[in-house]
Amino acid sequence: MRLPVWAWFALASLLFGLTPSSLLGAVRPHYGGALTVELSNAWTTLDPGSFKAALSIPIAETLVRINSRGEIEPVLAVAWQHDPDFKRWRFSLRPKVAFHDGEALTAASAVPSLLVALKQQYSDVSIEAGGQALVVECDHAIPELLDRLAAPGAAIVRKSDANPLIGTGPFRVTLWEPGRRLALAAFDEYWGGRPYLDSVAIEFGAGHGHADMFDIPPGPARRILPEGVVTWSSEPRTLVAITAANGDTLLLRGLALAIDRTPIVNVLAQHKGDAAFGLLPQWLSGYAFLFQSTPDVMRAKQLVSQARLGPASLSYPANDAFLRSVAERVALNARDAGIAIQPMPTGNTNLRLIVWPLESTSAADELKRLADQLGAGDRSKQLDPSKPETLYEFERSLLDEHRVIPVLHLRENYGIAPRVHFQAPAQTSATDPFALHLENAWVDQRAQP
Amino acid sequence: MSFRTKIFLSITATVVVAVWIVAAVVSALVTQSFERRDEQRTASLVSELQREFSRRGAEVARRVQAAADSDAVQRLAVDLGGHLDTSQYYTEAQTLAQEQSLDFLELVAPDAAIISSAEWPARFGYKEDWLAQPVDWNAQGVFLKKEDLANGAALGLITVRSVKAGDVTLYVAGGQRLDDEFLDSLPVADGTHLQLYRNLDATLQPRSLGSKVADQLVEDVQRQPRQLTRVSDAASITAIPLRGRDNQLLAILLIENSRAELVSLKRYIQGTAAAVGGAGVLLGLILSFWTASRVTRPLRNLALSVREVASGKWDTRASVSSSDEVGQLARDFNGMTEQLVEQRDRMIQAERVAAWRELARRLAHELKNPLFPLQITIENLQRSRDASPEQFDEVFRESTSTLLAELGHLKTIIGRFSDFAKMPAPQLEPVDVNQIARQAMQLFEAQLQAPGHTPVETKLHLASDIGQVAADPDQLLRALRNLVLNAFDAMPRGGALTMRTSRHDSKVAIEVSDTGEGLTPEECDRLFTPYYTTKQHGTGLGLAIVQSVVSDHKGTISVQSEPGKGTTFRIELQA
Repeated sequence: MRLPVWAWFALASLLFGLTPSSLLGAVRPHYGGALTVELSNAWTTLDPGSFKAALSIPIAETLVRINSRGEIEPVLAVAWQHDPDFKRWRFSLRPKVAFHDGEALTAASAVPSLLVALKQQYSDVSIEAGGQALVVECDHAIPELLDRLAAPGAAIVRKSDANPLIGTGPFRVTLWEPGRRLALAAFDEYWGGRPYLDSVAIEFGAGHGHADMFDIPPGPARRILPEGVVTWSSEPRTLVAITAANGDTLLLRGLALAIDRTPIVNVLAQHKGDAAFGLLPQWLSGYAFLFQSTPDVMRAKQLVSQARLGPASLSYPANDAFLRSVAERVALNARDAGIAIQPMPTGNTNLRLIVWPLESTSAADELKRLADQLGAGDRSKQLDPSKPETLYEFERSLLDEHRVIPVLHLRENYGIAPRVHFQAPAQTSATDPFALHLENAWVDQRAQP
Repeated sequence: MSFRTKIFLSITATVVVAVWIVAAVVSALVTQSFERRDEQRTASLVSELQREFSRRGAEVARRVQAAADSDAVQRLAVDLGGHLDTSQYYTEAQTLAQEQSLDFLELVAPDAAIISSAEWPARFGYKEDWLAQPVDWNAQGVFLKKEDLANGAALGLITVRSVKAGDVTLYVAGGQRLDDEFLDSLPVADGTHLQLYRNLDATLQPRSLGSKVADQLVEDVQRQPRQLTRVSDAASITAIPLRGRDNQLLAILLIENSRAELVSLKRYIQGTAAAVGGAGVLLGLILSFWTASRVTRPLRNLALSVREVASGKWDTRASVSSSDEVGQLARDFNGMTEQLVEQRDRMIQAERVAAWRELARRLAHELKNPLFPLQITIENLQRSRDASPEQFDEVFRESTSTLLAELGHLKTIIGRFSDFAKMPAPQLEPVDVNQIARQAMQLFEAQLQAPGHTPVETKLHLASDIGQVAADPDQLLRALRNLVLNAFDAMPRGGALTMRTSRHDSKVAIEVSDTGEGLTPEECDRLFTPYYTTKQHGTGLGLAIVQSVVSDHKGTISVQSEPGKGTTFRIELQA
């Protein structure tokens, strides 16, 4: 089939507009300008460990980080070595790095933050500082130490009376009103170079659509987006699932057969997520597709009639319209199978619709956290990150025991005004599919905000 | 029942019955009037409701049409025509329903799958098969329909509009909920109450509608859908079946007209009737007193005179205060008492004469017997002195003995008469009747056991629980002894003598029975007459003394006898 010239032109224009070319910064970046951000969730703390959103607010930095390919990259640490037993690690800190208050980053100044973060996981850990070198030592092997140090909670920060968070990142805090707003300014002495933006103003709990960037909660919000705004979606990073309060596995088994996830993803989530048949998303585990199944209402009915299940109630987080709609849809599916379920906001119910945001890019860690939550934490010791089959078998066992019904994995979505552009960092060839990094953003100041 | 009571009851009954009849007639007329008014009010309300339904239906149709004409629906129709993803519209029905103030609104794809539902947002993707029927929905009016909701079912005034986009048709089905709030918005008169029985789901609609009449009415209409009216004391209820498109019974509208006003008026009538009736009773009471004082006073005086005459006051006279029948009756009564007094006096005189004669005869008879031996003895003395002086002393001794014996006999006879004349008043004291009875029998034990005496069997049947009576023990013993002696005399050839005591209520009875010849009724009548005797040597005072004793003790004595079957005397004393 041959297309006319005008059609090729139109198609090319469309592709240009739809592909994240604007995110890639097809136009040469400019310094200066202020970026406004509106977030629906109200932050009440600046603790780096609580930063779980895909939107990266670069105030503090860790020694290392995990890039989009899952590789460890140096940040504040430029080099590291470990002994053959993985018990002793030595890190060389990046030179000429300063905190936002002008104090130079030294091994001694990094120890307090690291000690707090690591002591939570390794009680016998010790850290020695000397100049720009840090030595982390433990009585047992800690091969996963780099993953731990890449977690936001292991960021190197300091606090003062005047400043709630002093880090080494490209932006420094200029105003912090918990739950209301956060103002950042470019840190001119940033070791990686000054960011493009002069400042970033973040408002929490504000309405969408009036800022340069805003988050888009799940649900049908596409039509209210201002003209020209493009959306950016992260990889699925939040699990929505159903658990039974009293371990009623029979009820969960019947319900699992009755739930039709496709309409939930397509209509309720407006394609901003994936149907979840496993606990971890496909991008994280690599084997999630093995859990796929189709609804079987007839079998669910048989199960319900044999078990003589009584009416149940399903709680969902109050004031969350999207999760309420999911709960109502689940109740409707359950009704088709003969299970009477009454959705209700919070309360003491048989079933709970839970939201489980991923905190790391480690499948093993996430499975362990989930296992703890589901009361199977004692069995998670069998997990070996180097052996994916152990992860699969463990997750399979959790699902087969009907401890939980995965419903969908949600992505994080952000609306981005046309004047906002993201410049891919020099060390990567593409934008990070898991996070939006404000240090890469710049605004076209000629365009109207 | 007294005459006054009869008058009172007659007047009262007359007044009450008259009042009741008037009250019943008025009440019936009022009830009839109210029922006519209720019927008219119900008919008017039904007509009003039909107009209101039509108006609401037109309003619903207008709003659904407005929703169908909205940009969003038109855009959706275009997207459908272009076979684009319509998932983004799944909340559109809620927005449109809010804009158009509709309770129900669904946007339905050509394949009857719900794209968006305002009333049950989670139902997107489910089928509304009824919309797929080959119907020109735009020509259809508003109809009743059962709407499934997440928490049950509801009743709605629904209409459907179809929106064409190319070769596809988008259905817009919307309406308003038909519920109590809807009913409350309808204009109804005071005293009229509307209820809607939703015939949708028995688990959601409670069976009871507040009254048994309404419940029964609903059941009747459910069995055979038709307009029905039932009337109770509290209200008249009309049930109107409401049907859906397929003629199925979806709801029953209950129009309840309160009868409180009627009940109040009836109560007023009843209260007035009760007051008038009460006044009638009072009037009857006053009239009866007045009538009694005017009419029954002579009669009561006459009755009082009669009672006095009966009590022995023979000189009592009834006052004559009128010349009517009652006055004549009083005069006749007075004449009668005068005649009775005269006859009584004559009879007393005759009886007194007869008594004296009897006394003289008895005295003559009693005295003649001893006098004759006296005369013979004296004559014998005279002859002996003249004819045989040598034997005179012997004859004298014998004669004087005889004379003394006969004189003693005479003295005894005179003593008896004297005793009877001098009966003393009884000295009452608690007395064991059984003890007295035993003593009376024991007095004759020796005589009965004497050789050659006629064999008489004695029997004592004494009740153990008779207690004591107030009596003079000597006089009572004397009376019983006389009766026992009398019984012995009645059995010259032997027999059985039975003494029996018993107690009946407040009386103690003593019976003395023999198996002798018995007495005739005439003899029984005269038995207690002084000096009357059936025996050859009796004085006729024994039973008279017994009667005197019993009478002095405020008791009674009676006799039962038949010739050949013996005689029983029965004394009854107050316990």
